Amino acid sequence: MAKILIIDDDPDIVESMRIILESCRHTVTVAKNGEEGLKEAGAAGYDLVILDVMMETMSKGFEVARSLRESKDNKAVPILLLTAIKESTGLDFEKEVGDKDWLPVDAYLEKPLKPNELLRKVESLLKKK
Amino acid sequence: MNSSAKSNRSSKRSEAPRDTAPPEGLMESLYWLIRLRWFAVAGVFLTALAADKVLRIPLSYAPLYAIAAGLGACNLLFLVYLNRVRAAARPDLPVITNRLANAQIPMDLLGLTALVHFSGGVENPFAFYFVFHMIIASVLLSRRASYLQATSAVFLFLLMAGLEYTGLWAHHCVASSAAGCRRADLLYLLGAAAAFSSTLFIAVYMATSISGKLREKEARLRGANLQLKEKDRIKSNYVLRVTHDVKEHLAAIQACLDPVLHGLTGELKPGQVSLIRRSYERTEKLTFFVKALLEITRIKLSNKMETGVFSLRRTAESAVNFVEARARVKNIRLTWAVAHGVEEITGAQVYIEETIANFLANSIKYTPAGGAVDLLIGDAGASVLIRVSDTGMGIPKDELPHIFEEFYRARNAKAAERTGTGLGLSIAREVAEKHKGRIWVESEEGKGSTFYFSLPKTLPPPAQVL
Repeated sequence: MAKILIIDDDPDIVESMRIILESCRHTVTVAKNGEEGLKEAGAAGYDLVILDVMMETMSKGFEVARSLRESKDNKAVPILLLTAIKESTGLDFEKEVGDKDWLPVDAYLEKPLKPNELLRKVESLLKKK
Repeated sequence: MNSSAKSNRSSKRSEAPRDTAPPEGLMESLYWLIRLRWFAVAGVFLTALAADKVLRIPLSYAPLYAIAAGLGACNLLFLVYLNRVRAAARPDLPVITNRLANAQIPMDLLGLTALVHFSGGVENPFAFYFVFHMIIASVLLSRRASYLQATSAVFLFLLMAGLEYTGLWAHHCVASSAAGCRRADLLYLLGAAAAFSSTLFIAVYMATSISGKLREKEARLRGANLQLKEKDRIKSNYVLRVTHDVKEHLAAIQACLDPVLHGLTGELKPGQVSLIRRSYERTEKLTFFVKALLEITRIKLSNKMETGVFSLRRTAESAVNFVEARARVKNIRLTWAVAHGVEEITGAQVYIEETIANFLANSIKYTPAGGAVDLLIGDAGASVLIRVSDTGMGIPKDELPHIFEEFYRARNAKAAERTGTGLGLSIAREVAEKHKGRIWVESEEGKGSTFYFSLPKTLPPPAQVL
């Protein structure tokens, strides 16, 4: 059972993830945008942050990830990045994930999300922690 | 001249696009001129040889051979220089090529004047070969430069005739008898000069008029082509934006259906499961289509595709792994090999792997159970040849030219598999084009197909963006 923060502005995706994660008895908190997410993360001690790339802007998720890494309380919190921009941008997330300077996240998942993949990824990140 | 007349003249000049040298294709034209000059040099040499040894015309042949050799040597120098400036890709390349074009024709005129002088002067009917140079000048140079070349040719001809007439230059008579020599016949000389000059100027007038019209037409077509490309770019941007939004909504629909299907929201009745599963599968297919559309649109729009050196063997292995399970399900024998010497190549690895995987997936999809699919990557000299062959249903002959078009699916493919984006091979074609490569297919309906992807070894260089 872990404390998970979801930062995503799509209420339908958020609701789906909430149901999936709560089915495994995780506690889920939702933030609807980057600013709210950073504020919520604060010193709350989350075990995992699930972060969407594209929120207010195309790259808001990247900015939020970097801000989290720069903060004292969240520099070690695992971040799972959600993306739907792989085809439209051609970004090779497989290669870029983990790059401290520009993509300081621990893993990524492509939308549409599959429940099993999401749970597998979440469990593996929580174990690493 | 008053100011209004001046302004009229200057405005007429600015409206005349024919008065500028054609920048496009001048380099190719110079190579064409060099090739042509090799034939001219050979022609002079052989004609002199025939006149000397067969016809036994009493002339000084040494200067004729020397002129032919000189023209050949100059041609070689032009060729070497042109190759160098082209390889260096200097920013002032258009200026250099223009200067080179303007320099080559006077050289030819001097050479031809010397040839005519040593082979009969004004009596030599080959003097009218100057017309060819005028046509060449009209094609390669601006209208003004072409008339300047015609004036130079007339001046050289008159100078030669004048010097021979006054006796300052020795006349090399080719008439069968001394009485036939016309170098001192003033009336003949004036008539020849008038005929020669008018022929050259009329030839330049006609050739520049025709080439000017063609250039205008070409410029109009080029402009229209640019407009079309810009419209296509706007359309692609629009498609990219819309498709991305569609994908977002599809992802949300799938995300909502998934927990329901997995029973996370409670037990469902079999009928409900069936309908939700059908909806889910249709969104999955639509997502696949949208992803392919996004990918091809992005590749078309993008001028940047990062390249690097990568292992072709590992790439092929990865592509094979991607489709292996599908082949196993259909009991299809999947074989692959990479020839020695092509293990490493420069290019966009992700896209090349996708292209190979795409070929393989297509072959497996349209090959009946128990068939065979083979991937072979071989050395083809300057390029690497990727070949995927199968024992599948093949493509109808009349549909082969369309198979790489966007959204195109062959009749038999549609009949065999209802779903398919018709974009996979178009993406492969875009990838090939971005790599300056080539893609094609050979197929026989009912027997199988072979897809080829030829990838240059040296282009583009490592770490360069396409």
